[in-house]
Amino acid sequence: MSRKVRIAQLSCGPEYSGVQKEIYDAAGAVGAEIFFPDIALADVERAVEEFGLDVRSADLKLMIARGLALVDGKIDADGVFIGTCFRCAEAAIVRNELRRYIPEHSRLPVVSYSFTERTTAGTLLTRMEALTTIARRRALLAREEQTGITMGVDSGSSTTKAVVMRDDEIVGTGWHPTTEVLKSSDSAVADALDMAGLTREDIQAIGTTGYGRFLVGKHLGADLIQEELTVNSKGAVYLADHQRGASTVIDIGGMDNKAISVIDGIPGTFTMGGICAGASGRFLEMTAKRLGVDITELGPLAMKGVGENVPMNSYCIVFGTQSLVNALAAGSSREDVAAAACHSVAEQVFEQQLQEIDIKEPVIMVGGTSLIEGLVYAMGQLLQTEVIVPPHSQYIGAVGSALLASGFIKGE
Amino acid sequence: MAKVFIYPATSLILSDLVARFGHKPLGAALGIRERIQTAGIDSPPLQITPEEPKRGLKYAAVEVPSGVRGRMAIYGPLIEEAEAAVIVTDADLAFGCMGCARTDELILFSLRQSDIPILELNYPANEEEGVQFVAAIKKFLAGLPNGDEA
Amino acid sequence: MKAEYAPDYIGTVTKYVFVESPHMTPGELVLRAYEISEGVLIKETCFGLQVTGTSEAVDRLISEIRTFDPNHIFVKDRGFPPGDPRRCRANLGGARPGYLGHEREFRLLHYITHGLEALERGKGVPEMVPAREKKPRLDIQRLQELIDEES
Repeated sequence: MSRKVRIAQLSCGPEYSGVQKEIYDAAGAVGAEIFFPDIALADVERAVEEFGLDVRSADLKLMIARGLALVDGKIDADGVFIGTCFRCAEAAIVRNELRRYIPEHSRLPVVSYSFTERTTAGTLLTRMEALTTIARRRALLAREEQTGITMGVDSGSSTTKAVVMRDDEIVGTGWHPTTEVLKSSDSAVADALDMAGLTREDIQAIGTTGYGRFLVGKHLGADLIQEELTVNSKGAVYLADHQRGASTVIDIGGMDNKAISVIDGIPGTFTMGGICAGASGRFLEMTAKRLGVDITELGPLAMKGVGENVPMNSYCIVFGTQSLVNALAAGSSREDVAAAACHSVAEQVFEQQLQEIDIKEPVIMVGGTSLIEGLVYAMGQLLQTEVIVPPHSQYIGAVGSALLASGFIKGE
Repeated sequence: MAKVFIYPATSLILSDLVARFGHKPLGAALGIRERIQTAGIDSPPLQITPEEPKRGLKYAAVEVPSGVRGRMAIYGPLIEEAEAAVIVTDADLAFGCMGCARTDELILFSLRQSDIPILELNYPANEEEGVQFVAAIKKFLAGLPNGDEA
Repeated sequence: MKAEYAPDYIGTVTKYVFVESPHMTPGELVLRAYEISEGVLIKETCFGLQVTGTSEAVDRLISEIRTFDPNHIFVKDRGFPPGDPRRCRANLGGARPGYLGHEREFRLLHYITHGLEALERGKGVPEMVPAREKKPRLDIQRLQELIDEES
């Protein structure tokens, strides 16, 4: 195994919340090690003055000083983990400003998180994995072209997608709801191969991503098993033909949402949210079911409605659905209800996640929910920009995996 | 010998002066030592487990950040045990156990709410203030039960 | 994945001893402390030393160490035993936060020394401003007078 990726921890409170071990464990699980940048008291006093954010808490001053020492290159690191207590306003300000400042003034990838005493290594794992991938695999992530014949499989929480690519083109796709992880994956793979007119033996390299990536990766003998943050970033800029420069990738998934600020195809800052189902694709599925339409019809229906006509006073998947049911009973049109549901999901992602990253245009929406045009429209309205949905956007993870897997073809 | 809570609880100067003048300083080290020397679930570095912020609910409500509640689980019992307190009010660069301003505010409030004698003063900034600082602490401590009369 | 924790040094007390003196270096302090240690564990540090043992043994040693240079030796409790990997700079990549706190107070120790020496000499103590007293604001009538003078 290559040398350990060194992640600098800038934090306030994890030792006292009892979760420092969880941070160590998450880093350890992806071959990284946590360290605390070494500085002197005079550095703290100077840094706080220089940064100009005059906070009261000494440990936040320490965070600022450590962050500046990394940016100044006085201390070497491969990545930065910023963590503060959930619900602390003072810390949230420092966390946000450092998360913005560090990538702007250095090449260091940053991930930030606000923890509670319930935070576990499992919650942090995907974030740490993405952080180490960016640090360790810059060369792999620099790939802009797919070569040979490769396959990507995205084993998501709701659906399993497979894509076969040949010479920079998508030649086969497969899509199945995730029921049993391996069975769903086998079906998606069979469909993709069938459409491409190829067999397993023709495939030169395989990449897997999504929740089931380890299981499916082992089953298929994958060359690359990779979390979805880096894979989706790569896939999004590839499909949108915007591999250079800045962009923002939004993926509203079945179980969690990702918002990634991408630079030259590599994630800079990103957030993952998954606490509330009311902000997920699941809520839109439930709405479609309640309205008696297929999920594919929800988007066009929403485009004909006006969301503001429907009173929604909760984001919660349970109470939110209740609001929609009440609205229907009170005579609201199905179109308006569909639009309100789309707006609700977009607004929650906007308020809870997009505030955490710097939105740079173009904004690219990917994943299955990007096909719901009412949702894309609502997001565009909130961001005051035109949102791009690239072709094959629902296969984003599979395409990203297939693209990156071509780096593993023998002789490459 | 009286039990004297020191603020900042990590202070070398206060810990020294309180012990030097014959009393027992109650500081962060005592709370950490207790945890470091108790067997249980491994939770480095301080052996503060996720259970501690829950214990901290006795001192701060659930909407208070976990780091405050975890710290209060250390300080709360020490404050309850304290018979007096010496407070340096301009301790702006005390890190770690004292590194959270919200916890620090709550500690000070809890001390001031309790019925124990309290001495509040600033760090000395010159030699004259050094004399005042040491003299004030010595006099305060001498006035406590079982203290050496100055 | 909850690992069990088995502590070392149960029932012991660890204290830091700092020396900030023109008469004695940390190295000299350690040598003299060793001579009277009587089984108490002593570890040299850049600022002085750490002692670990039973509460009584540590108290006895500390009171003897203090006599070496009473106004330049300062003592504080420590939660961890000496050399604990969880607090070690080598493992953390940097100093633990408490170290910077010591740095903060180390700058002030000479004022404390001065205070201790002055009290020893029985010097009179100047009046002290209470810590929480607010500076009085400028009286509004005086402010009006100042404005009138300027115009």
